Amino acid sequence: MSIPDYMQCAEDHQTVLVVVQPVGIVPEDEFFRIYKRITSVAQVSIRDSQRNLYIRYRHHYLPENNEWGDFQTHRKVVGLISVTTCGSAKEWPQTSDRFHCQKDVFGATLYDSRLLVFGLQGEIAEQQRTDVAFYPSYDDCPDVEKRVEDFVESIFIVLESKRLDRATDKSGDKIPLLCVPFEKKDFVGLDTDSRHYKKCCQGRMRKHVGDLCLQAGMLQDALVHYHMAVELLRSVNDFLWLGAALEGLCSASVIFHYPGGTAGKASGREPSLARGQGQAADTGKRHRPGALTANGISADTSSEIGRAKNCLGPEDIIEKYKESISYYGKYKNAGVIELEACVKAVRVLAIQKRVMEASEFLQNAVYINLGQLSEEEKIQRYSILSELYHLIGFHRKSAFFKRVAAMQCVAPTIPEPGWRACYKLLLETLPGYSLCLDPKDFSKGSHRGWAAVQVRLLHELVYASRRMGNPGLSVRHLSFLLQTMLDLLSDQEKKEVTQSLENYTSKCPGGMEVLTLPDGLKLPPVPLSKLPIVRSVKLLDLPVSLRPHKQKGLLENNLSSKSPFIYSPIIMHTRGEERTKKIEFRWVQGDVCEVQLMVYNPMPFELRVEHMGLLTSGVEFEALPAALSLPAESGLYPVTLVGVPRTAGNININGYHTSVFGVTSDCLLDGLPSVRTSGCVVEVIPSLPRLQLSTSLPRSAHPLRPSKEELSSSVSVQLFNGETQQLTITLENIGSEDLETLEVTSKTCNTKEKLFGEFLSWDLEEAVSQLPLKPGQSVTLTVNVKVRLDFSGGENLLQDLNDDGISVTGLPISSPLRQVLKPRAETKALGSESSKTDYNHVKTLEAVMTFKYSGGAGKVEGYYRHLSLGVHVDVEPSVFFTRVSTLPATRTRQCHLLLDVFNSTEHELMVSANNNQDLVLHPSECQRPAAGSSRGEPSLYRSMSLVGWRSRWLSSTFTRYPSRTRKPCATPTPNYWRRRGFTPRPP
Amino acid sequence: MHQVRLQIKGSDEARYSYSIDVQISAVLQYWSKPKNYPLFIRSVPVQNELKFHYTVHTSLDVVEEKISAVGKAMADQRELYLGLLYPTEDYKVYGYVTNSKVKFVIVVDSSNTSLRDNEIRSMFRKLHNSFTDVMCNPFYNPGDTIQSKAFDSIVSAMMVQAS
Repeated sequence: MSIPDYMQCAEDHQTVLVVVQPVGIVPEDEFFRIYKRITSVAQVSIRDSQRNLYIRYRHHYLPENNEWGDFQTHRKVVGLISVTTCGSAKEWPQTSDRFHCQKDVFGATLYDSRLLVFGLQGEIAEQQRTDVAFYPSYDDCPDVEKRVEDFVESIFIVLESKRLDRATDKSGDKIPLLCVPFEKKDFVGLDTDSRHYKKCCQGRMRKHVGDLCLQAGMLQDALVHYHMAVELLRSVNDFLWLGAALEGLCSASVIFHYPGGTAGKASGREPSLARGQGQAADTGKRHRPGALTANGISADTSSEIGRAKNCLGPEDIIEKYKESISYYGKYKNAGVIELEACVKAVRVLAIQKRVMEASEFLQNAVYINLGQLSEEEKIQRYSILSELYHLIGFHRKSAFFKRVAAMQCVAPTIPEPGWRACYKLLLETLPGYSLCLDPKDFSKGSHRGWAAVQVRLLHELVYASRRMGNPGLSVRHLSFLLQTMLDLLSDQEKKEVTQSLENYTSKCPGGMEVLTLPDGLKLPPVPLSKLPIVRSVKLLDLPVSLRPHKQKGLLENNLSSKSPFIYSPIIMHTRGEERTKKIEFRWVQGDVCEVQLMVYNPMPFELRVEHMGLLTSGVEFEALPAALSLPAESGLYPVTLVGVPRTAGNININGYHTSVFGVTSDCLLDGLPSVRTSGCVVEVIPSLPRLQLSTSLPRSAHPLRPSKEELSSSVSVQLFNGETQQLTITLENIGSEDLETLEVTSKTCNTKEKLFGEFLSWDLEEAVSQLPLKPGQSVTLTVNVKVRLDFSGGENLLQDLNDDGISVTGLPISSPLRQVLKPRAETKALGSESSKTDYNHVKTLEAVMTFKYSGGAGKVEGYYRHLSLGVHVDVEPSVFFTRVSTLPATRTRQCHLLLDVFNSTEHELMVSANNNQDLVLHPSECQRPAAGSSRGEPSLYRSMSLVGWRSRWLSSTFTRYPSRTRKPCATPTPNYWRRRGFTPRPP
Repeated sequence: MHQVRLQIKGSDEARYSYSIDVQISAVLQYWSKPKNYPLFIRSVPVQNELKFHYTVHTSLDVVEEKISAVGKAMADQRELYLGLLYPTEDYKVYGYVTNSKVKFVIVVDSSNTSLRDNEIRSMFRKLHNSFTDVMCNPFYNPGDTIQSKAFDSIVSAMMVQAS
C-alpha cells in the first residue's frame, strides 16, 4: 500500500467500497455519465431496518490497497459494478469473460458484483439475470439507480451476515489471526497456542467486528467492539492494530458527533439534513437509527446506558488520534495509514476549529516518509497539504505548499514539465501572498505587503507563463510587476525586467484587453501609469488669435445657481469634483487643442514613450500621438499632447495613452490620485473661420508698452510728425469655414499725447463687399497711418525763450539743433536706449487694431474671434524753431513774431499756416517766416496765428507750439518760395 | 504536541546541519486589516535570504492564530511572548507580539542548544525596547521600514552573541 488517499475522512470508515469500472471499450464520457448516476446512490436505507448503508465509489482502485482490507474494512472492495458496451450477441460471451476476469482481481473480497451492458438487444437481453442488466443504449437506462440500490442491498445482506457470523462469540472456536500484508512473514513459525497469540487474535477480530458494525450502521456496537479491542490489543502491545482500533474508535465518535461530515464538501450525504441534525447531536439527544434499534443480535455489552460512555468526547477524539498516529509511526510500512490518519484528524480539528493542533498534525504529516514517491504523488501531496492548511485558515502556509507543488510540476527530473499546471497552481497561491492581479488595488497608497516574496512569485508567474507558450500572459504579469513593485526593485532589476518585457512584447505586444484564462480567471489590464509618472495635467487655452469670444448680447447668465450666496468661505467641492470642474476657456471644433502634462521618468535609463496621446470622451476627438524620450531619472518634464476635436460639445479629458516597451496602456486619471489637474472638462464650440494677418510693414521688434492685451502681431513704423503712411493689411482665411462677418476697430493706447486728427483710418467697404470669404481666399485692407502730434510743451526746445522772452532781439538756440542734426540712425539708437533723454524728441504712438470676425457654425452660436494688430509709430518732429524774436508792429497793441523754422528731415517739406501761405523747406534748411502777434488781446488771438503756429503771448511764455507739417516731398514743389524776409500781414 | 513531534520519522536521513547559526529578526506591522509586511528583516548568512522570507511569512499564520486565541481570553494582561511558533526540520521559529500588534519573529537553527526559552525571551525584550526607541523618533513614520542605525546595531549585536 503505497498511495495514500488524501481525500479520506473519518466518516469513510462507515462506508463500503464499490469499484465501478469499464469493461472493454467504453467511451470515457459515457462511462463517467453512468458513473455519476451510480455515485448518486451514496446512501441507501435498508428495508425493514432503520439503518443506512453508505457507499464509497471508486473508478480506480489498486488491488494492493485491497490487501489492507482486513486491517480496515472500508479499504476492502466489496462490490464491483462493471460497465460495458456490447453491440451484438456475438460479442456477449467475450464480454462476459472479461467481466469475470475483472471480478477475479478483487475476487477474494467481493461480496457481490453487477454488470451493466449497454447496446445489446435481443434474445440475450431478454433473459432475467440478477447480476447483469441490459440496456439498449447509454441514453436509455432509466432504472440504473434502482439497480444499484438493489445491488447495495444485496451487499448489505452479505455484510450483515458476516457481521453476525463474526460477532457471535464462539469462544470455543479458534479465531483466525487477521494481519496486514507486511506482517504475514513475521508470524511464520509463531506459537499459535500461546496466550499472547490468542489475545492478539481476539483483539484483532474484535476490531474487525467493530469495523463491520460501523459499516453496517451499528455505531454503538462498533464503539463497544472498538473499546474491547483497544483493551485487548493494549495488553499484548500489538501497536499497529491498537492504532487501528483507536482510529476506529475516533472515527465512530466523529461520525456520532459530526453527522455533517468532516470532508468539507458534500460527500453524497444530504448536507442540509446533516447540518440540521448536527445541533441535535451536540446536545446528545440525537438518535442514530442504526444504533438505537439494532436489528439482529445485539452485541454483548451494547446497551442504552453504555452509549454515552463509549463514545469519545471531542477532546478525547484528538487525544486518541494522536495516540493512534504515534503507534502507526512505529511501522515504516504503515506510512500511508499514518498519513491518512493525520489528514482525517486535521479535518476533524478543522471542524472543531482547533487550528493550532491541526497545524501540528499537518506538520507531522509533512515529515511522514512514504519512501520513493513519484513526482505526481509529490505534487498531489503538496497540493493536499496546501488544501488542508487552507481549511484551517493558514493561508500563507497553504500558499507556500501550493507554490512548492507548482515548482514540483516543473522539477528538472520530470521529462515533460507541466508548466500549465505549475502556472495554475501559482495563480492559486496569489491570495496567500495577499497579491491581487488587479492593479487598481495597488494604486491606493503605497505598497503594503511582503514584497520580496511577492516579487519572486510574480517572476515565477512570468516564467511559467512563458514556458507555457503564452507570452501574452508573461507580458501582463511583467507589466504588473513593473507597475506595482517599481519602488521596490533595484536599478539592476528594473533593467532586467524591462529588457525581458521588451523581449516578450516583440512577440506579443501588450494591450489593454482583459485576458481570460481557460479556467475563467480574468487578468485585468495593467496600464503602466508609472512609466512615465505624470504629475499634473493642464489643459491649455487656444492661442490668443484663435480664442473664441461670445457675443455680448448672447451672454448667458453666468452666475452659478448652486448656492444662494455670492461668496462663501466654505469650499464645497472635493477633489473629485475638481476634476470634473469646467474650465473657463473654450476649445473650437477643428482647431488643434493642447494639454500639457508634467511627466518624469523614474527609471535609471532613458525611457522611450511612443504614441502618447489623449483619451477623451464627450466629443469626437482626433488625438495626434507624440513620441518622447525621457532621460534617466529626469526631473519634471513638460509634454504637450495635442488633438483636434471633430464635433462640438463638452469634452472630458479622461486620461492618456502610452506605449512603453511595447506595452500599450490607457491610463485613466480617475485611477491616478497623485495627478494634479485643474479640471478636465472643456466646452468645444462649433468651428469658426481662422484668419491670418499679414502686413506690408515689417513686424515690430518691441512689443507695445502697455501690454494689457495680448496681440496676435504688431508692426512698427517710424514717421515724421505730420507724415502719412499707408499700411496694407492682408487677411487670409486659413480655416475651413467661410468668413462671414468682419469688423475692424482701433484703439489708441497712450493717451498722454494730444493727437490731432485721426491716427488710423480705413475704408472697410471694399473688404466687406468681398465677404463671405471662402477658405484660402484673402482680402486686403488699406489703413492710413497719420501722425499729428503736439511737440510743444514740456520740451526744452524753446526753453531759453522763457528766460529771455521779453527781449525782442533774436536769440540763438543752438543745443537742440546740434542734437537734431546728428545722423538719423544714431538718433534711433539713442532713442531706444534712453528715450527719456532731454534732447530726444521722438514720441511714440501706439494703437491696436482689432479685427472681429466670425462665420460658419460658430457664428450661429454667437461666437466670434478677433485678431489684434498692434501699430507702433515712432514720431519724430519734422521742424524746429531755432530762433524766436519779436518785432514791434505798426500798432502798439501788436507785434511781429519771428520764428526761425528748421527742417530736420532729409526731405523737403511744406509748412502751411492758417493764412494758406505755404512754405517749402528743403532738408536742413532754415527759414524765417514772420508771425504777427498781439500783446494780450484775446480778440486778436486768432488773427495773430501765423503760418499755422498758434501762439499765445501770455506772461512772456509760449505755452504751445502746435505744428502742422505736410508730407515731405522728394522733389521741390513748384511754388517754391524763396522769400527770406517776412512781410507781416496787417490784421 | 510533543507526542506528535516525536513521530517525525524518516526525516532523520534528510536532516542536515548548519555550521553557522541562522537567525532572523523580522518586525511586522499589523494593521486592523491583516496585511502584514516586513518592517525590518535581517539574517545571517545573507545568501538564501528568500528562504527566510518564506519561513517568516508562513509563521505569521501561527502568530495570527495565537493572537486571536489569546485575545479572547484576556485582552489586557496578555503575555507578549508567544513562544515557539513551530519547529521545522532545521529551524525553530519564535514569536512575540507587542500590544500594538507589531510582531517580532526570531528564527534560530534548531541545532543551537545554547538558546533556551529564557534567552529568546530576553532577546525579544531587547528587541522590543529598541523598537520602542525607534518609534519614539519623531522623524519615524509608523509603518515605514525601519532604517534606524541604533536598531540595526542592536540586532547585529544580538546575532553575533547568539552564534
